[in-house]
Amino acid sequence: MPEKLDVKQGTLALMILRTIDVLGALHGYGIARRIEETSKHRLSLNYGTLYPALLKLEQEGFIKSEWRQSENNRRAKYYALTAAGRKQLARETAEWHATADLIAAFLAPKWETR
Amino acid sequence: MRFIRSTLARIAGASRRTDIDEDTRAEMEAHLEMEVAENIRRGMSEPDARRAALLNAGGVTQAVEAVRDQQGLPWIDSLAADFRYALRSLRASRGFAAIVVLTLALGIGANTAIFSVVRGVLLKPLPHRDGERLLYLRQSSDGPGGANMTFSVPEVRDLRAGVPSLAGIAEYSSWIGILQGTEGAERIRTGLVTGNYFEVMGLGPVLGRVTEPRDDGPGVEPVMVLTHEFWLQRFGGDSAIVGRQVTLDRKPVTVIGVLQPAPFFPSRFVALLNMVNSEHHLGAMMVEGRTHRMTEVVARLKPGATLPQARREVDAVYTRLQREHSEAYNPGAHYQVTVTPFQEVLGEQARTTLLLLMAAAAFVLVISVANVANLTLMRGVRREHELVVRAALGAGVARLRRLLLTENLLLAVGGAAFGWLIARSGIRLLTAVAERYSPRASEIQLDGWVLGFMIAISVGVALLLSMIGSVPREGRFASRLLSGGHRLSGGLRRNRLQRALVIVQVAVSVVLLAGAGLLTRTLVRLSEVDTGLRAEEVLTMQVALLTPTELLTNPRADGAAKERYEQMRREIAGIPGVMAVAVGSPMPLRRSDLVFEVKAEGKTVPPGNAAPKAEVRSASPEFFQAAGIRVRGRVFAGTDGPMSGKVVIVNQTFARELFGDADPIGQRIAWTGDLLKFTPISGDWRTIVGVVADTRDGGLDMPVRPAVYLPFAQMLAIGGGLVIRADSNVASLIPAVTRVVRRLAPTAPIENVMTISQYKDGSIAARRVNAALISSFGALALLIAAVGITGVLAFSVSARTNEIGIRMSLGADAGRVQRMVLGEGGVLLAAGLVIGVVGAYFAAGFMGSLLYGVAPHDPMTFGAVALLMTAIGLAACWLPARRASRIDPAITMRA
Repeated sequence: MPEKLDVKQGTLALMILRTIDVLGALHGYGIARRIEETSKHRLSLNYGTLYPALLKLEQEGFIKSEWRQSENNRRAKYYALTAAGRKQLARETAEWHATADLIAAFLAPKWETR
Repeated sequence: MRFIRSTLARIAGASRRTDIDEDTRAEMEAHLEMEVAENIRRGMSEPDARRAALLNAGGVTQAVEAVRDQQGLPWIDSLAADFRYALRSLRASRGFAAIVVLTLALGIGANTAIFSVVRGVLLKPLPHRDGERLLYLRQSSDGPGGANMTFSVPEVRDLRAGVPSLAGIAEYSSWIGILQGTEGAERIRTGLVTGNYFEVMGLGPVLGRVTEPRDDGPGVEPVMVLTHEFWLQRFGGDSAIVGRQVTLDRKPVTVIGVLQPAPFFPSRFVALLNMVNSEHHLGAMMVEGRTHRMTEVVARLKPGATLPQARREVDAVYTRLQREHSEAYNPGAHYQVTVTPFQEVLGEQARTTLLLLMAAAAFVLVISVANVANLTLMRGVRREHELVVRAALGAGVARLRRLLLTENLLLAVGGAAFGWLIARSGIRLLTAVAERYSPRASEIQLDGWVLGFMIAISVGVALLLSMIGSVPREGRFASRLLSGGHRLSGGLRRNRLQRALVIVQVAVSVVLLAGAGLLTRTLVRLSEVDTGLRAEEVLTMQVALLTPTELLTNPRADGAAKERYEQMRREIAGIPGVMAVAVGSPMPLRRSDLVFEVKAEGKTVPPGNAAPKAEVRSASPEFFQAAGIRVRGRVFAGTDGPMSGKVVIVNQTFARELFGDADPIGQRIAWTGDLLKFTPISGDWRTIVGVVADTRDGGLDMPVRPAVYLPFAQMLAIGGGLVIRADSNVASLIPAVTRVVRRLAPTAPIENVMTISQYKDGSIAARRVNAALISSFGALALLIAAVGITGVLAFSVSARTNEIGIRMSLGADAGRVQRMVLGEGGVLLAAGLVIGVVGAYFAAGFMGSLLYGVAPHDPMTFGAVALLMTAIGLAACWLPARRASRIDPAITMRA
């Protein structure tokens, strides 16, 4: 079993937004499964991490929620991106790329920095 | 934006608590069921699938709580809970809460009350427009009357021309006029002001107008601007007064307006007049006489100009003046001009006293807080177990700290509320005291700043108390719980803190007591001062028959007035019980405003030395007997009339300064100097016929000034008054005497009707209140410190009950145990005493100007204070010591 990682503050919001963006409106279980699978099970989300994060995004107006029937006839709360959420996703993605490039440059092997 | 939106969502969430909890639960249940179904689909058995899903979920209840925290405003919820909890826990220990609130109320109340005075009198911005740019110019020199000798009009003219950094220079002088009313007359103190006065001062009218430059000079209408206070008090705030005429010095004057409330300096004016009201002020003598100094000067700093700049420019002009007019500035008298911000001048008399009171109040607060801190520490030990249990149940260190803070805030708020009441009841007394020191006493009030100050110290106290209370550290709950509950040890650190607090209390008490002792000794010394007269059963009253203007313009009025005074004197002498009646000016124990240079026949002042100066006083033949002033030589006789040889009586200080050890009787002296030519007093030679005892005029702590008494008959009848000696209860004669005066002088103002002892008491009343305040602060400190010592020792004894029991069972007797506890307290007491005495030694250095007849480091006072503190401190130790010695070893060991 691969080593489990903690979800870094702030990155979870981005993961959730991105997941909903790719898969469309989705319930909490679906989001958790998708994130765990995408991380090749190095991340695991318990409820205490996932649901406050969802609520926070909703309070900030990036996602909206709605109770619906699921595919196998179960009632579940579905989350969908809002227009503001889409913008926020684009902005955070760009920021993340920029930060990643920067950090990568710093952490490059020594001979490359010469 | 994002923050606002989520905050709004949270506030909405806080109000729909239960619905949302259910919603969250349903959502998570759905999540769980989906996961279980998925696991079964993957081939797990139903129980395994459920277990795996639950493991993955990681605690549904905690998750619901986490969502709830995100949902509403958690700190509001827990704040309300903290508040409820704090109230409950304080109600459980009512005694503790009551003592803490009371102690804090005393400290906070004293500080709030004194701060309100400091703010009103020293700190509050002046009501004048841009008041911080107002400057007061003061000319001073050595010798009597030289501290603030004011300016002459030519001097002001030169300053105005030579100091570019001043935007305007205004002149004003104090002038007493008689205001005629429907019932009798009253002497009022007014200010004669130049037309630019209000512009420079930055003051405006609340009604009508103020004077302007067009009101300057001769030939204009005499006008009057009422001060706000006088308008309310004398005219009942009647707005129809504007435009009406009043009679001042028997001449009509038009009231043109009412001024906004404002403080005045150096004396309180009730109205302001344009210069035309006084012929003298427009005369050549006033306008051209360089040494005719009677003008006060205020100036306004130009925008952009600085105080040092103005000072440099004034100095430059003044240096030039002294060179060009060397005859007007005797170098031996060290003439100088100082430029001081007006606000500072207004507070200069009050500053030392107020800072002393503020420091004393701060000390009381320190002691109260130290005491409360000790109580809190002890309570903290007793409830340690409770806190550990709370922490173990998941309260978290931060949450516990907040809980303690809430409790302390509640206590501080309680203290502040009572403190506010204390301040409110004390403020009237303080205002009455401040009135003697400051023209701004009416500005003292409990305003927003004072409230802010009080809240700040209350919150500060609460924070401080919360910091010292220790909270169980994370991860150590279990060991604490296991170590067996009720161990009342307290850590070594806490013990040390408690001891330090007791030492602080003792030290601060000693400082306060030393201050109180010095001020009280000053009072005693003052009451022992030989006033130079036998004051019992002597009544004085001022009855001004003539105004100075009338005296100067109508020489015949003087003779008529003297006859009327003589008539009053004879009639009052006929009242049963009266032993002696005299006329004179000024009244005994009051200073004379008339000070002139004087010379003795056959003696010359060495060049470079200041000429001697003396007060001019006048007295009828009976004066010294009526006032009870000892005389050597002879007193004036009825034959010392206007036409006979000129005679004088001098006081001892005068005799010593001019004649040294030689006998002055028979010597001749004469008034001299530049000022004389501005007065109707002649420079004729006068023969000294007697020497009288020095009297403490102008204040018991004032140095005695040389004084020369002229026979009332050989002097103008300026500001005369009556001195009446009776065989008993002179105050009961007041109605009869007043009736006589009223009948003979129906329109003359009758003022300052009081016995000499009343006057004497009044002159030290402010000091008495000061000393009483500081003494009560000291007594309070002593009491609190004693309670503090007892409390800490008692606590230490109860914590060491076991140990003491063991000692006693091993053979220590009661006396030994008592000595042990006494020793423990004695060390604290001694340490506090040493620190306190050293502190008091430094603190007393700042009090020098408030003391009289006692050195700031008076060993008697310090010794008495140390003795008192030791006695009270040992008494405080004795109670717990006795309790320790009565511990029954058998009972303790069994427990």
